[in-house]
Amino acid sequence: MNPLLEVKNLKTYFHTDYGLVKAVDGISYQLSEGETLGLVGESGCGKSVGALSILSLITQPPGEIAAGEIIFQGQDLLKANPDQLRDIRGNKIAMIFQEPMTSLNPVLTIGFQIGEALELHQQMGKADARREVMRLLKMVGIPDGERRIDDYPHQFSGGMRQRVMIAMALSCNPKLLIADEPTTAVDVTIQAQLLEVIKELTSRLGTAVIIITHNLGVVARYVNRMAVMYAGRIVESGTAHDVYSKPSHPYTIGLLASVPRLDKPRTSRLVPVDGQPPNLVNLPPGCSFYPRCSFRIDRCTKERPELRTVADGHLAACWVDVR
Amino acid sequence: MQNNVLIDIKNLSMYFPITKGIIRQRKVAEIKAVDQVDLVIRRGETLGLVGESGSGKTTLGRCITQLLNPTAGEIYFEGQDLCKMKKEELRLLRLGMQIIFQDPFDSLDPRMNAFKIVAEPLLVHTKMRGSALADRIAQLLRIVGLDPNMINRYPHEFSGGQRQRLGIARALAIHPKFIVCDEPISALDVSIQAQIINLLEDLQTEFDLTYLFIAHDLSVVRHISHRIAVMYLGRIVEIANRDDMYLYAKHPYTVALLSAVPIPDPEVEATRERIIIQGDPPSPINLPPGCNFHQRCPLCIDICRREVPELREIGHDHLVACHVA
Repeated sequence: MNPLLEVKNLKTYFHTDYGLVKAVDGISYQLSEGETLGLVGESGCGKSVGALSILSLITQPPGEIAAGEIIFQGQDLLKANPDQLRDIRGNKIAMIFQEPMTSLNPVLTIGFQIGEALELHQQMGKADARREVMRLLKMVGIPDGERRIDDYPHQFSGGMRQRVMIAMALSCNPKLLIADEPTTAVDVTIQAQLLEVIKELTSRLGTAVIIITHNLGVVARYVNRMAVMYAGRIVESGTAHDVYSKPSHPYTIGLLASVPRLDKPRTSRLVPVDGQPPNLVNLPPGCSFYPRCSFRIDRCTKERPELRTVADGHLAACWVDVR
Repeated sequence: MQNNVLIDIKNLSMYFPITKGIIRQRKVAEIKAVDQVDLVIRRGETLGLVGESGSGKTTLGRCITQLLNPTAGEIYFEGQDLCKMKKEELRLLRLGMQIIFQDPFDSLDPRMNAFKIVAEPLLVHTKMRGSALADRIAQLLRIVGLDPNMINRYPHEFSGGQRQRLGIARALAIHPKFIVCDEPISALDVSIQAQIINLLEDLQTEFDLTYLFIAHDLSVVRHISHRIAVMYLGRIVEIANRDDMYLYAKHPYTVALLSAVPIPDPEVEATRERIIIQGDPPSPINLPPGCNFHQRCPLCIDICRREVPELREIGHDHLVACHVA
């Protein structure tokens, strides 16, 4: 079976005053229908830019998708013309953004904003769209949808706004949902509610999901497969089970060791990853993680490690066998 | 025993008025950000304060440091009531307490370099000048793990973690006894958070500091705190030692909060029981009668809708405010 989405050697660069920033520097991954993939990494590692590139949502200039292919249902999205892209955005591929306040239009009612996609993509009439919006509001768990359909975003709490975003994203029954840090701006109890809603609905509708997050716990709870990013590249990928139980890149090992865990007895001291994330303008040759790595060898400064198979379906980009 | 207590908070309330009208402002309602809180902070301990946004944890921290004037109640710092003090007395007592803020981007003046930022409290509170001042600042930078050669850099030239270290150096400058850490790591990257936590722990041992550690990340709070207090809508609903809190939490809100935290291990997650509480917290302007949590509570019984539960002791150092638990 062909994968639903195939990203091949994607490179997204930004031309800044300080020099060329290689925000995404050659990432490749695949996603099958109905699968959930987690993209994990720290701020600035390129996980959001990589996802925005899928829908050509990179402002050009200063941004530039320098190379790569994004094959969605057999079509290369990077070669699609604006009309074709418009047909895909919000229809076959939908997005949920991090900050629900800034991604909803404050001067339009939420009924209008959710209905807009239905009228555009599904050619629904106003009355049909309104009925459908009410159904969607109920589906994402907004109580009293009939009354709230004409409310404005500011009348909703943060968690409810994010539910509106989910309703909007799922309105056209997309094949792929990209959720960019969907729960970073909300509290833990609300985070648990929202992730449960996303998981329940996408599995019911058979939607594939890419969850972008820095939270290792969220990935462990909700994802089948995951990719760990560092400085614009994927450094490790595999099933969540394999990556957590046998992390095979020093960065992943460091990350997992540095977070305190609620389910284990308290350790007397945390083991941090030393140093700072690198400056993307002047990446050293060789491995970007070299300065912070505790397994480093001479070869790491000279040659950049490519992803290689360390176990069945488990890839890591490291010269050293750290398993 | 009394000597053990550094800060004793009695019946503290902080209400923010909501006004209408431009010229003649009328008070139409009030937000009960902190509502009748009793809390003791012991010398040398870290008290973790957790709660969701809007639960009043930051307001409580600001009342203790007198950045806000509480509506009612008493705050004793080493036996002296801060709320009744004159400005000059308060200024001297403030030497003993400092704050580390959440956002290392907003809490440092972008037009001051590292030297000026760390020097400011010393210039205000001490007579240290000249080379003594420069030496002390270099020493402070070393203590927090920054290279003293960075002294002429401006905040934008530091990374997030380094900026937070600078904020810590500024707080340490005048030898405080007590530091309010207001979400000091939530703006930092995962791999940097552990560095700052370790630094805070080292400093506590080295300088005998007492911390009020405000955060919403429960796994971090358990790691760093000796005792933990959980806040919900302005009230403290449970206080316990760190291990008791995680093993024997009694308040339904605490239990739900603990269960909502995802654990970075798919194996554990697959078998874990999850309690997902429904709904949003009610608006703090229109609090329901009775227990603040009753509308979302799975254990709610009749009395919860009528009477506010008081904090009561249910074990050694373990207090809970719930009719059912």
